[in-house]
Amino acid sequence: MSLYSSDTSSADSRKPVVAAYLEVIRLLDDRVAPLLGKVTTRVLVQGAARRVAEKYPFLHFLERIPYTEVTPAIAQEQLGGQSPQELTAGLNALLEECFAGLKELTGDLIVTPLHDEVTRQLQHMSIMS
Amino acid sequence: MQSQSTLPEGAYRSSRGSGEDRLAVLRHEMEYLNTIGKRFVAANDRFQVHRALLATLQELYSFSACAILLKGQQGDPFELSIIPRYPLSASFLQEMIQRIARAANIIDFPKVTPEELAVAAYLDAPDDLALMEPQSPLGGSEIGDFLHLPLAVEDRIIGLLSLFHEREGIFDTQLLQLTRIIADYAAIALENMRLREREQALWREAEFERRRLELIISSMAEALLITNAQGAIVSLNRFAEQLFQQAEIDTRLEPGVPLRQLAARSNVPWLRELTHVVDQALTGQTIKNQELIIGESGETVPLTLSISAAPLSQDSHHPLPSGAVVVLNDITDRKQIEKLKDEFVSVVSHELRTPLTAIKGYTQHLVRRLERRLRQQAREGREQPEPPESYDLRSLYIVQSQAEHLERLVSDLLDLSRVQWGRLDLQYTPFYLADLLAEQVRLAQANTEQHIVQLDLQVQDSKVIADRQRIAQVVGNILDNAIKYSPQGGHVTVRLESTNDAFLVSISDEGIGVSPEYLDHIFERFYRVRNAASRQYSGIGLGLYVARAIVEAHGGRIGYASNQQGMGSTFYFSLPQSPNSAETRQL
Repeated sequence: MSLYSSDTSSADSRKPVVAAYLEVIRLLDDRVAPLLGKVTTRVLVQGAARRVAEKYPFLHFLERIPYTEVTPAIAQEQLGGQSPQELTAGLNALLEECFAGLKELTGDLIVTPLHDEVTRQLQHMSIMS
Repeated sequence: MQSQSTLPEGAYRSSRGSGEDRLAVLRHEMEYLNTIGKRFVAANDRFQVHRALLATLQELYSFSACAILLKGQQGDPFELSIIPRYPLSASFLQEMIQRIARAANIIDFPKVTPEELAVAAYLDAPDDLALMEPQSPLGGSEIGDFLHLPLAVEDRIIGLLSLFHEREGIFDTQLLQLTRIIADYAAIALENMRLREREQALWREAEFERRRLELIISSMAEALLITNAQGAIVSLNRFAEQLFQQAEIDTRLEPGVPLRQLAARSNVPWLRELTHVVDQALTGQTIKNQELIIGESGETVPLTLSISAAPLSQDSHHPLPSGAVVVLNDITDRKQIEKLKDEFVSVVSHELRTPLTAIKGYTQHLVRRLERRLRQQAREGREQPEPPESYDLRSLYIVQSQAEHLERLVSDLLDLSRVQWGRLDLQYTPFYLADLLAEQVRLAQANTEQHIVQLDLQVQDSKVIADRQRIAQVVGNILDNAIKYSPQGGHVTVRLESTNDAFLVSISDEGIGVSPEYLDHIFERFYRVRNAASRQYSGIGLGLYVARAIVEAHGGRIGYASNQQGMGSTFYFSLPQSPNSAETRQL
């Protein structure tokens, strides 16, 4: 299931995609870190990045840089060469892996409500952009 | 450890009541956290941490089993403890392990398979926490609910805490935060246990090393003593104790007294020398194989020790030594053997000299007679193309040359004895060093047609007061070596320079040179470099030893320097212009 869809093809359209995912990662941080702690949330995202990096190598940087330290400038620099479609697919895969990891750790305790919230937010941002 | 806490009502619920209610909730929360904190702090080993964890979690949840997976240390990749609250079925355990492996691979954990976990799993079931009467002999076969929480210390994941139950919907989102806090306590307690275990292991290792070292030191044939930074003896072995007993010093009676104070009160001369060596080591110097005569001077060969000392350094942050370690080795036997050898060499040399003088004298006589006869034949016109006398004369020249060579060897051996016993008497006379060098260069050139020996004088006035014959011997010995080790057609240069009140003579060749590892030894007696390059050259290794003794007896210095481009050698020696200037320089 795609959490976010992008119909644009220009290079400028990368910015809203990146911004949307930074917002979502911030949302994950807000919801997961108080329950599981910052370290766990960080390794969860890093683990997800490691698993999707083979298919989406541009996400490899998230293994090295903690998600909390990813600023829009860093994201633009690391993801600048990707088409919005690739970017969207990669970031969707990353989110799905985050949820899969979270489900592996805590079952349905966190995943179900959070997945709904994230989907709503991304759809909202998709419409806005 | 039995729980003494009561989980505060609403400790994990949002507190939206009045200020008073919120304060009460906060107080309850703090009391609760304080209680569980104490449980973990009181734990003395990892099993007590497991019990504290189990006791605390039981207050929150009903669960079938909990498991603690820790990252391993020193070779073991991980450690897994499974703590069932009642007997579990094999299929339940199997599923638990599979879920733990999957969760571990989600977080920052070394890759681990369920099979590896199953092999390493350790079942730890505290009896007093087990339910007395399980509802069935074995728990259910499937997992209904689970929760995995990484165990983190600071920003590191050190393991994973897992809870399992047969029924669904056991674990609660509202309790998740509190469970994580308990996991944090457990993580810190487990990490502390690990550090403590590591510390204990290091202590055991250090103790083992200390005992081993003690055994080595006590069984050493050498005397060994260790001082502190003030020079007081802090440790010594049996042989060192015996040594001090000989000087009537009981180091055990005066602990902490610096050696220099003990030496100042004692009449034993060697103790002052030992103190001097220790003091040198305490300034950071390393002393190697310095001789220390312990016995009475009247003895034929007094008890002699070889002393080596080195500073004990703490680390790079403390440049000053924290003490010194001194090793004393009895070399009296070696000295006795050396003395016997020297006496033997001295006697043999003297005995060789008498027949040698006769050989030289009669050879010279025969040479002159044959030369005369040949001259007479020439005068009388009886000259033959190859008269038999000329063959005989050539043979005699060889005998003469070899006798001279033998005489030099005997002379070196005699000098060795003189040097050993300090009887190298010098006959000071004034002469011009430049003339002596020119003479030596001529002689050397006369003996070799395959080398070019040249003189380079850099001084106008070379008047010196020294033992002419001995200085000639020094130059001759060095020149002999230079020619011996130089290739055919090689240049040998003798250079004379002057410095303030001394002359500097250097002799450079284009020979095989001396490797750095041999430099410390080339002036030792009977020392010959043993490598493929030098094997073809004969000699007994006394020339440089005698040369050094002569130069030093004059107050000069002798040394070696590699030539530029690594080709050949340069030996040099300094010679004071007069014995007075040598004394002045030494002062």
